[in-house]
Amino acid sequence: MISLRHVSFSFGTQWALKNISLEIGKGDFLFLVGPSGAGKTTLLRLLHGAIPLKRGQGTVAGFDLHTLKAGRIHLLRREVSVVFQDFKILPERTVFANVALALDVRNMPRTHSERRVRAVLRGLDLEAKAHIPCAQLSGGEQQRVAIARAVVVGPQLLLADEPTGNLDRELAMRLMSIFLQFHAHGTTIVLATHNQEILACVPDAKILHLEDGTVHWTNWTMHAAS
Amino acid sequence: MFRIVLKLMLQGVTDIRHHPWIQVLTLAAVTLVAFLGGLFLLVLHNLDQELQRAGGDIQFQVYWQPDTGQDALQSQWAALRELEDLAEIKTFTGDQALDLLMQRLGGTGDFAWLRGNNPLPATALLTFAIQVDDQQAWAEATYLQLASLEGVEKVSFNPLQLDLARGWARFSNQVIWPLILFLGVVLALVVGNTIKLSQLHRRNEVEILRLVGAARWYIQLPMLVSGAVLGLLGGVLALLMLKGVQLSLQDLLHFPPLWLRLEYLPFSQAMAFLAVIVVMGVLSSWVALRET
Repeated sequence: MISLRHVSFSFGTQWALKNISLEIGKGDFLFLVGPSGAGKTTLLRLLHGAIPLKRGQGTVAGFDLHTLKAGRIHLLRREVSVVFQDFKILPERTVFANVALALDVRNMPRTHSERRVRAVLRGLDLEAKAHIPCAQLSGGEQQRVAIARAVVVGPQLLLADEPTGNLDRELAMRLMSIFLQFHAHGTTIVLATHNQEILACVPDAKILHLEDGTVHWTNWTMHAAS
Repeated sequence: MFRIVLKLMLQGVTDIRHHPWIQVLTLAAVTLVAFLGGLFLLVLHNLDQELQRAGGDIQFQVYWQPDTGQDALQSQWAALRELEDLAEIKTFTGDQALDLLMQRLGGTGDFAWLRGNNPLPATALLTFAIQVDDQQAWAEATYLQLASLEGVEKVSFNPLQLDLARGWARFSNQVIWPLILFLGVVLALVVGNTIKLSQLHRRNEVEILRLVGAARWYIQLPMLVSGAVLGLLGGVLALLMLKGVQLSLQDLLHFPPLWLRLEYLPFSQAMAFLAVIVVMGVLSSWVALRET
C-alpha cells in the first residue's frame, strides 16, 4: 500500500524528513509517533500529495509520488482519505452535506450517495444530527463528521493526523474504536499521534517512532530500510 | 458531462447563499464602485457628445452657377446626400433662397419683383461630422471634390471650424479617451480586488474540496461562475442606478444658453461596461483560486 525508499524533504534549508524508507502492506495499522516537529505531519502530507516528493522514491495506493502530475493528484486523493486534528469541515453546512461532499466530487448519483452517507452516519451515531450545521456540534461530533467524510468513499488508505488531539480521554477511546471498525473491514490506517495511551488500543499495530525527521525506532523489521 | 458542468455552474450561483453577508457586502461594494465609475463614464460621454456637437462639425457652402438646370442640381444634391460623414445637408434653389431671405427679414422687405431676375444662386450647406485623423487632408480633398462638380461656381468653408474640429479631436484623443481607459483600469482593479477578497474567504472550502479528491475544474468552475454572477449583478445594479440618476438629472441643465440634456450611455458602451465587470469577476476569482 505504501512504499517509500530514501525519502527526504526539506522546507528551505530545514530538513523535515531524512532518508525515510518504509513498507506498509494492505490492511496494516501504523502508528506514527514522536515529539512535535519530528516529521509526522510532513510524512502524512507527502503520502496524500499535499507536498511533492522530490528526493527518493515512493508509491502510495499504486500512484508513483515522484512522477505524479499536479493535475492527477485528485486521483490519488480518491484512494487516500485524511482526517485532521482541526477537522477541516465546513461549519456552515450540515453534517450530511459535509459527508456527501466526498461523494459529490466523484459525481456519484444522488440516490446512491444518500444511501451511503446515511449508512456511515448511522455507524458513527450521527444520523439524528444529519441536518444540523456542523458549527452547532461539539468537538467530538465534528471529529466524527470528519471521519465519516473520510470513510464514506471506502478509501484504500486512511491517514489521520492527531485525530484525538482535541478530544478528552473518553472521546479519544471512542474514536479509536471507530478506527478499529474500519480497520477490521480491511482499510489500511496510518495514524499520527503523541498520545501513548491510544497505542494500546491496537496491539498488533506497527509503530514507527520519528525524531528530527528520521526513523528513530520501529516495532517491526523494515525490510526496505536503508 | 454536460449535466455535471451545468450542475457545477448552478452550484456557483447557489454557493453564494453559504456566506450571505460577505456576498451581500461584496455585491454592494462592486455595485457602488461600478456606479461611481459609470457616473464618471456618463459625464465623459455627455461631454464628448456636447463637444462633438459644438465643435466637431465642418460646414461647406457650395454655390452653383445661375444657369445650372434644375435636373442637374437635383441629381447632384442626391449624390451629395450619399457622402461619407455627412451629418446634414440643406439645399436651396435661387427662389427658395429668396423666400428664406424675405422670411428672415420679417416681411419688412418685398423682393417679389426679383423673381424673374433672381441674383441668388442655388446653394447647398453641407455639415460633416468627421471621424478622420488628418482633417486638413480630408478638408482639402472634400473641397476639391465639391469644386469639381458640374456647374459649381464656388465652394467655401470656414477654416476656423476645421481648427476647432482638430482641437476637439486632439482633446478627445489625448484627454477623454485616456481618461476613460484609466477609469476602466481603476474600475477593473477595484472590482477585481473586491471579488478576489470575497473569494479568498472560501479558502477553507477549496482546501477541503482538494482534500476529498475534487478535480481542478470541479473546484474552479463554481467559483468562476460565482465571480461572474457577482460581477453581473453588481454591473446591472450600477447601470440601473445610473439610469435613475440620468432620468432625474436629464433636464437639470436644459435651459438657455446651455441647453444641455444628459444622455444615457449608448447600448454598446453599457454592454462594454458590464462586460469589463463580469470579466474582472471571473479573472479575480481565478487569481483567488491560484492563491489558495
